[in-house]
Amino acid sequence: MRPILLKGHERPLTQLKYNREGDLLFSTARDKIVNVYYSHNGERLGTYTGHQGALWSVDVDPTSTIVATGAADNTIKLWEIRSGRCIHTWNFPTAVKVVQFNEDGNMLLAITEQRMGYQGTVYVFPITIDVEAKQAEEPIIKFSSPENKFTKAGWSYLNKWIITGHLDGSVSKYDAKTGELVQKISVHEKEVTDLQFAPDMSYFITTSKDKTAKILDTKNLKVMKTFVADAPLNTGAITPTKDYVILGGGQDAKDVTTTGSRQGKFEARFYHKIFEDEIGRLKGHFGPLNTIAVHPAGTGFASGGEDGYVRVHHFDKSYFDFLYDVERMRPE
Amino acid sequence: EDIAEESQASKELIAQRLRLLEEWRAWRKAVEAELAEARDGVIPLALQSEEDGSEVIE
Repeated sequence: MRPILLKGHERPLTQLKYNREGDLLFSTARDKIVNVYYSHNGERLGTYTGHQGALWSVDVDPTSTIVATGAADNTIKLWEIRSGRCIHTWNFPTAVKVVQFNEDGNMLLAITEQRMGYQGTVYVFPITIDVEAKQAEEPIIKFSSPENKFTKAGWSYLNKWIITGHLDGSVSKYDAKTGELVQKISVHEKEVTDLQFAPDMSYFITTSKDKTAKILDTKNLKVMKTFVADAPLNTGAITPTKDYVILGGGQDAKDVTTTGSRQGKFEARFYHKIFEDEIGRLKGHFGPLNTIAVHPAGTGFASGGEDGYVRVHHFDKSYFDFLYDVERMRPE
Repeated sequence: EDIAEESQASKELIAQRLRLLEEWRAWRKAVEAELAEARDGVIPLALQSEEDGSEVIE
């Protein structure tokens, strides 16, 4: 599994995202730019410039026409993928931490940071997937959670709910039409650092600084699986076609020094999704892993590090062949 | 005796994994059926490549 190393950023990576077909890989970092690569060979297709601050989040619409980005310059920008032209900008009072299209590509979810007297807020904007269209200025819905900072968010299936992760380790479920809080549960002991859905959005994985990752049922927020790691986790993804999850994180530089640990634990870790065991690790990054994205066809994954590098991996045969005895005994 | 204990432990582990596997598969089956009904044959754009990992041609 020899990776392709992408050196398109000068600063730590913040998010990676494949498009629906998996042929394009988008990356955002603290260096104010968005890069897009061909995922099979790592060739850079383009760089989108225009943000005035660190970028926190990126997402692609399901037709691969428009990319949305959220940044510390308090804006969301929409970009035409083909030309790299900025086609719309929304302004907010604080930084935008998350952007995500719904499954139809006609709504965009965003969360803004709680700061300077402003509450962290979830917004949903209507989207027209047309680079010449005028996008609506006003959100369809907007709600806050003053006592409980949002860190991550995502759409459920059928645009039914918005699932949010929080600074205190809890996970909430809001009605996506009314913004009403439906359910809230304690999941982690520390900050929720990532929240990624399975392909059909019926379950999702959360990662936390508490060194664990969990799989939750979208419908009732029941914790179904727990994965225990030996370092704070920043990111986790569910792999299609194989029953694995891939987790990334690592000790912060300051903690490595104070504990005297030479081992920063900067590997991508593979766990079995059903049996919860760690089954493998992949070295490479020189700092914590900040973001992992899995190819939508399950053929590989990409990791983005605090070291400023993106590593794109294509899975080899042993990855697909690996089975537990019980999986061999009871083939699906 | 050690070997007997070990083999007992491994039997228990296998039984536990079988249980986990069956539980997961039963849950997936139920959820997939429920979602298919809720979607009523309408597959959203974002999910259209998930079935076979290639473009859906209609």
